[in-house]
Amino acid sequence: MISRWNRILPYIMIFPNVAIYFVFIFIPVLWAIYLSFTNYTILNPGGWVGLSNYETLLKDGIFHKAFWNTMVFWVLKVIPTIILGLIVAAMLNAGIRAVALFRGAIYLPGVLSSVAVSMAWLWLLHPRNGPINAIIKMIGIPPQNWLQDPELALPVVIVVSIWTNIGFAMIIYLAGLQGIPTHLYEAASIDGATGLKKFVYITVPMLKPITFFLFITLTIRSFQVFDIVYILTGGGPLNSTTTIVNQIVKTAFEEYNMGYASAQAIVLLLITIIVTMVNYRVGSKRTMD
Amino acid sequence: MKKKVKTMKMRYPANVLLMAGLTVVSILMIAPLLIMIFTSLKGDSEIANTTGSLLPKEWKFENYLLAMQVGNWAVYFKNSLIVTVLAVGGSLIFNSLSGYTFARVTFKGRDLIFIALLLGLMVPPQVTIIPQFILLKSVPLFGGNDLFGQGGQGWLDSYYALIVPELSGSLGIFLARQFYLGFPREMDEAASIDGSGIFRSYWRIYLPLSGPLLATLGILKTVHVWNDFFHPLIYTNSEAMRTIQLGLQVFHGQYEIKFNLLMAASVVVSLPLCIAFFVFQRHFVQSLIPTSVKG
Repeated sequence: MISRWNRILPYIMIFPNVAIYFVFIFIPVLWAIYLSFTNYTILNPGGWVGLSNYETLLKDGIFHKAFWNTMVFWVLKVIPTIILGLIVAAMLNAGIRAVALFRGAIYLPGVLSSVAVSMAWLWLLHPRNGPINAIIKMIGIPPQNWLQDPELALPVVIVVSIWTNIGFAMIIYLAGLQGIPTHLYEAASIDGATGLKKFVYITVPMLKPITFFLFITLTIRSFQVFDIVYILTGGGPLNSTTTIVNQIVKTAFEEYNMGYASAQAIVLLLITIIVTMVNYRVGSKRTMD
Repeated sequence: MKKKVKTMKMRYPANVLLMAGLTVVSILMIAPLLIMIFTSLKGDSEIANTTGSLLPKEWKFENYLLAMQVGNWAVYFKNSLIVTVLAVGGSLIFNSLSGYTFARVTFKGRDLIFIALLLGLMVPPQVTIIPQFILLKSVPLFGGNDLFGQGGQGWLDSYYALIVPELSGSLGIFLARQFYLGFPREMDEAASIDGSGIFRSYWRIYLPLSGPLLATLGILKTVHVWNDFFHPLIYTNSEAMRTIQLGLQVFHGQYEIKFNLLMAASVVVSLPLCIAFFVFQRHFVQSLIPTSVKG
């Protein structure tokens, strides 16, 4: 009796997690794939339409715009975030005092919700009364309509996103920097290497795995960007800031075209899987070396 | 000896320069937040004045009272608190329990189930949102639904929609398993000689040692759920179910002109996590660092 109980017990212990995971993640992924081949709306159970949602995707100018914007957002966000995070971390790691104070201040934007962050920037960027226009006016630049200008809106959204993510990159790099053996630096000092040379030839190469981890994490986050876009610009003006997720939400929950929205979601899933696979391949190569 | 003196001499001005640089960076990083706070204390006429100063001329603390009177903030706070406490508490129990089981108990199908769980790490929440929405809408016998999940709104616009899907989480299970793999095998042997079953070992031996794991998972989940905007936006529609993040966004939609009150509300919404961050900074930082980087 007791041994049978012991055989069942592990399954009971994992049951709550596994059940919720299958109901809310695993099955919904398969379901989303299925929905992407239907014309399901919330009112109409929908029928099989084959590849027609994907054909629409190929012709949909707004989705192309969203895809392109997401790519621009990704490249222009991830690279500066990583570089700035590394510089700040290296400064913090140079043996100064009050590390916790600086680290806390620099990470603080990362603790705030995307809604609160967006509210702060809506005020900073306010075309008439906002502080940023007041500052640039003092140095002779005319005030800008930051979030209503199709040329400026996407770069501004990217800057806001970089600002909230620098702290995260800094903390990860700081942990990595503390793992670099000090004897490497000592040896380089004996050879007469200066601070900058040490940084370029020791610090940066030693941090390669960490840079790679940050690159993957920030890439996945970039492809999922939604909150700040939705609140700051709503995807406008003229779709100049709309992203893949913004289009998914709009198509599914404003136009109720859930079949087509699911096809867009599958594009997002495929991109994420490709990035994760690259991560896995590079990671396993490294352990083999 | 001579060399040491030289490096010390080199360090001193370099340190001052670094401190100055970091001070500038820190001020730049928190400037938007300081401006948010200062703006929240300005009067209406000062907000409308384009050449206003950074600091308020008159400190209007009553802005906070006014902001809280616009909208049902007590309800929003109550909702966020209920959702966060239950989602965090539940997921901590479930994740640590299953993480322990995957790490320390051998059973049939264990590795297969675990790999299936890990696949969830690759799934963006925006991919599952549509099926989840339909699923929550179709929960039978809830929210006006019949036995077949038709006719009403099911779990949508209820606490269930915001809590139940959060109770699992591939990352949480993965981190918990990693944590429990770190204990020596002798601990299980000692427990089984002692006559403890696997659940008793978990409860009596492993759970009391799980402080660091629970701190990490608790912080990650608390920040995620408290700051979540996406799920409340999609799953709720009545004012009675609004969380603070959604409340703040609706507030902005309705009172766009009153930026001082909007900033006051933003400060209030941000305050709980900011305080928690400064009190538990070390734990917050630890929770962000993955095991691969620590190694």
